[in-house]
Amino acid sequence: MMKDKMTPIERATAIARGEMADRLPCNPNVANGVARIYGCRISEFNHSARTIADAQIASYRRFGYDGVRIFTDLFPWAEAMGAKINFPADNTADLATPALEDIVQIDSLESADPYKDGRLPIHIEAMKYLIDELGKEVSCVGGIVGPFTNAFFLLGIEKMSKLFFTNPEVVHRACQVSLETCIRYAQAIIDVGLTPTISEPMSSCTIVGPKHFREFGEPYLKKLVQYITLKGKPVTMHICGKTDKIWEDIVVMGIAGFSVDNVVNLQKCKEQIGDRVKILGHVDPSAVMYAGTPADVREAVINCVQQAWDSPKGYVIMSGCSLPVETPLRNIEAMMDAAREIGYPIDPEKLNSMLRSS
Amino acid sequence: MSDFKQRLLVQLADSVVNMDEDLTVERAQEYLENSFDPYEAITKGLARGMDRAGELYEEEEYFIPELLMCSDAMYAGLGVLRPHLKQDKIGEKHKVVIGVVEGDTHDIGKNLVKIMLETLGFEVVDLGRDVPPVDFVEKAKEIKADLIALSTLMTTTMEGMKEVIQLLERDKLQDKIKVMIGGGPISKSFADKIGAYYAEDASKAAKLAQDLVQEAQL
Repeated sequence: MMKDKMTPIERATAIARGEMADRLPCNPNVANGVARIYGCRISEFNHSARTIADAQIASYRRFGYDGVRIFTDLFPWAEAMGAKINFPADNTADLATPALEDIVQIDSLESADPYKDGRLPIHIEAMKYLIDELGKEVSCVGGIVGPFTNAFFLLGIEKMSKLFFTNPEVVHRACQVSLETCIRYAQAIIDVGLTPTISEPMSSCTIVGPKHFREFGEPYLKKLVQYITLKGKPVTMHICGKTDKIWEDIVVMGIAGFSVDNVVNLQKCKEQIGDRVKILGHVDPSAVMYAGTPADVREAVINCVQQAWDSPKGYVIMSGCSLPVETPLRNIEAMMDAAREIGYPIDPEKLNSMLRSS
Repeated sequence: MSDFKQRLLVQLADSVVNMDEDLTVERAQEYLENSFDPYEAITKGLARGMDRAGELYEEEEYFIPELLMCSDAMYAGLGVLRPHLKQDKIGEKHKVVIGVVEGDTHDIGKNLVKIMLETLGFEVVDLGRDVPPVDFVEKAKEIKADLIALSTLMTTTMEGMKEVIQLLERDKLQDKIKVMIGGGPISKSFADKIGAYYAEDASKAAKLAQDLVQEAQL
């Protein structure tokens, strides 16, 4: 693997000032795969803040990517509000039963306390270790699942989808309580010195149409973004799947960065919203990063950079979503090395010749 | 076909597309009261409605919540019609074992595929969600299934799909029992890599299943 000449923070600062840098920022989004690099079981993340942080640190030290995040699965917030979670021994946690068995219980729903409920205190503690150890060299972020997506885990995914049509008030109530949890957690992240970043997978147009997103998702998500932004933190959002129909809705919320799935047209995304937000994306985590060869990864990275390097508000090479746990480490290395080989500033002619030589 | 019957079939399909459960039940009852063949009400009424809903999904006019409402309407109609089906119409079915791979409890996609398969006349054994790979193979052997259909929304469960195929290969069953896979993180290249057939979405999964069993009969 090639070596970097700058730390991620030096690099980000230089690029933001329009100064010389060694390469574009690159974040493969390793997620729970860090357990494979550190050598622990994923279930150890359920109770040990130290292990969460140490695994993140080990993976960062190995690959040198441009962002570390405390985020183990989609469900700690729903869990802290009463949902039951499956914890496999060595795989990512998943929802077993939603917080509410029956929607008549809707009034008993309460927002979670990040310092008390479920695994939230463990994540906050892990953030402290992370920023103590890495805060001077790399951007440290705390992940939050957005209020709309979290509401699905409170009511049940299918059930909430149908409630859009049959009982919209209950959906709004769940989103509101969900938002209160998100805001308290975002404040806790900010208090330990990290930056919140939002994942909103259920807002995807692959799942929910723009009409329902605008009715139930957008009002609450916007409030969370505004809360974080008012605290002086630039917030990045990731939404899986198709998103082009809601790009404008998301941009006007005031986010600083938007991380897109590999199903999105990256060039079109840059052309439409790149003047207002930084674009992050979008190497295919499944077909390329998990199932491809290092040569496939290199080619995919070059293709992404060709489409988005000149995005006015900046561009970060990233995977289209969190990497599968068993992604070959050589592919993660190949992603970083492609960024290093491309260098900075970007020379479009060089990108072409790199593709020809592959 | 009488105009009246034709009109009822169109109305059945429309009520499914329009997510109207009550109207679907009403139309199905009206259809039966006129002693028309319930099998046609399913294949040319309800299934067409579900097909159109699937097309609307592809066109990004409908999304998962709309499809769920359509499938509820479709199931309500099936509930009325099924008891009146003649036995010979549902005999000689091809069998499918379906489920969501271990580690994943999202079953929206799987449920839609199941409905589409059932409307095409497949006998579907649904193992539910979070299913260990070996269970798919054991159940398929037990019922002599033609197909195994695996769904996932999570990248973390893709290894389990590969394991199902390895288990079939171990038992030398990979030519007898074909495996089709689909869901959010699944791509054609991943399916090719592990030796499975790729279904892009629910309606394509049903067509793929038909093609695979017809191919096997040639």
